[in-house]
Amino acid sequence: MARSNLFAVRKELPTQVRLMLVAFAFVLPLVAWSIVSYVPFVWHPLVLVENAGDTSVAGSYSYVEVGQLIEKEAFDARNLELAKAGAKLARGTPANPIYLPAPHEVARAFYTAFTTAPERTGDKWLHESLWHSCRIIFAGFFYAAILGVPLGILCGTFGFFSKLFEPFVDFVRYMPAPVFGALAVAVVGLEDEPKIAIIFIGTFFQMVLVVANTTRQLDLALLEAGQTLGAKNRQLLRYIVIPGILPRLYQDMRILIGWAWTYLVVAELIGEKSGISAFLYQQQRYRHFDNVYASIIMIGMIGLLTDQVLAFVGGFLFPWEGEGTGVARWLKSKLAKRAQIPKEKARAQERLATHPSPTEEASP
Amino acid sequence: MLNRRTWLSVLVAFPLALAGCQKSTPPAPQETPQAAKPAETLNAAKAQAPAPTQGKPLTIAYSDWPGWVAWEIGIQKGWFKEAGVEVDFKWFEYVPSMEAFSAGKVDAVTMTNGDALVTGSSGAPSVAILINDYSNGNDMLVAKPGINKPADLKGKKVGVEVGFVSHLLLMNALKAGGLTESDIKIVNVPTDQTPQTLKSGTVDAIVAWQPNSGAALREVPSAKAVFTSANVPGLIYDVLSVSPKSLTERREDWKKVVGVWMRIADFIKDEKNADEAAKIMSARVGLKPEEYKPLMKGTFFLDLAGNQKHFTQGDTLESIYNSTDVVNQFQVSNKVYKAAVVIEPYLDRSLVDELAKAKN
Repeated sequence: MARSNLFAVRKELPTQVRLMLVAFAFVLPLVAWSIVSYVPFVWHPLVLVENAGDTSVAGSYSYVEVGQLIEKEAFDARNLELAKAGAKLARGTPANPIYLPAPHEVARAFYTAFTTAPERTGDKWLHESLWHSCRIIFAGFFYAAILGVPLGILCGTFGFFSKLFEPFVDFVRYMPAPVFGALAVAVVGLEDEPKIAIIFIGTFFQMVLVVANTTRQLDLALLEAGQTLGAKNRQLLRYIVIPGILPRLYQDMRILIGWAWTYLVVAELIGEKSGISAFLYQQQRYRHFDNVYASIIMIGMIGLLTDQVLAFVGGFLFPWEGEGTGVARWLKSKLAKRAQIPKEKARAQERLATHPSPTEEASP
Repeated sequence: MLNRRTWLSVLVAFPLALAGCQKSTPPAPQETPQAAKPAETLNAAKAQAPAPTQGKPLTIAYSDWPGWVAWEIGIQKGWFKEAGVEVDFKWFEYVPSMEAFSAGKVDAVTMTNGDALVTGSSGAPSVAILINDYSNGNDMLVAKPGINKPADLKGKKVGVEVGFVSHLLLMNALKAGGLTESDIKIVNVPTDQTPQTLKSGTVDAIVAWQPNSGAALREVPSAKAVFTSANVPGLIYDVLSVSPKSLTERREDWKKVVGVWMRIADFIKDEKNADEAAKIMSARVGLKPEEYKPLMKGTFFLDLAGNQKHFTQGDTLESIYNSTDVVNQFQVSNKVYKAAVVIEPYLDRSLVDELAKAKN
């Protein structure tokens, strides 16, 4: 493939290239993290003292002891003191601040977090905590969607509802959801309910506006065509608006569920501490940053996985949108093969999926 | 059409799936107060008895401080059951625990004597029925080299959470060094961010409690604790505060809880239990036992005799009344609340006394 083709504007890349780039997207940050962690002359502003030298020598830097993480300058100053006294020098290795653990430490923490039985009788395993967190997210998001989607569609369709609801929704959405934590506890209790409430508050108001906006972008000509054919308001909603916006609505939900995740950590510290956030916060307090990073990676992975699954399902639900994941496309072509559909047809399908036909796009 | 149908089926399936998973997580058996509530209020109304002693468990919100984590020993060893009282301990962050108490969602909360006044000034009165401990070194003023005593703070920048116990400790440190607040520059820093603030070099000293103070010392090895709560023992008492309503209605049950605490304090004070105590307590906060021991050292646990000693009127910090007076004044001058609170209703030593009498 010629190089210029790689940078063609808004063109689908060949499968191999695409997969390679996706892999790179994850490998590159990992490589950068590894370099910062393992190459001693990159960053490493501190020294891990392995041998304090002759500790009997007095001096203003005599606080240097084995196991400390100290500034390079302090370490050098201590060795200068020791050298002047003709004593044994201190030894140490370059190190990073504890706030940045190395990849292997995080990987180990990741593994042990799952394999260690809860130390305290009555506590949950980590995977149980994670599942608990997922349930909070889904419940909060579900209630937001149950109310937010219909309201958003109404606002996007009728000026009446738009003016009635949107100004207030717009006003509330700027408010920091966590502030309502104490109120949520007072109203709904201590266990999962206030957490679900925070996720709801954090997601609902955005959702109404996003859905309203999506609804407004529906081609007006479609509605006019319906009216010309004598459709009533209810029929317009049911047969034109809702089917018309479904694919984009689905995409909106995908983005908004990510939004819900960002409220998880604050939500789970409200009321009785629970879920992955209780673990994360406790480990951060005691400065076990390997565990902290391991748990944020878990959250990232769950989020990415959910998003990919949704995209994958979306590819099947709305094939004409050409969305969906690389995996979905790949699987689809495999399935097509298995169904013994000729290769050409599978390819044609794929082409159709990725490049919607101009007629469909431009249809009034 | 097919697509729409699929979409619809997803819509229908989703709530069902959710409902399924919600059902699959019944609250732990001891957490059924909500289910039991209607029947109970009915019974109570019928019997006209305000004190259903065999009622739902007492709920206590506790949080991460060695003096409160110690409750864990009683929980794990089943001592509450032995004492014939059912207690549901709920594990909280400190500030949310007080919020839950203010909202009336728990019967009692563990807090400092100063915060009890703050919570009360915002409309949630409470009664401290026992003192768990006083801070004996866990709260520290950690300073960079060159500052060796509080007097050296003159003209320096100090990171502290304004209006909280650390601030109160700082005021005492300044007093000990013959300084006033105008001699230093205060930077308002949340307590859990003090270690990195000291490390970043933007301040010359910080005030924090454990584990933050310990982390600051570890992460800035050149720093030293130049003043700690061990210099002013009794400045910060940690108590169990009960809502007046629950105390009135379930006094006998609360007495049993106080009794279990005395058992816990005796257990901790016995040297040969040190390992077991550290093991149980560290499990609560996700630490290794050996990491936890230093935190216990800076906490002076109070047993029955200790409670009697400190639960008395006096004009030194040895008296919780005096200590509460001091923090009361401090909070007024820092505009935490407007006028000084009448402190007597917040402190009730009668349960401790009754236990002592029963013992003799």
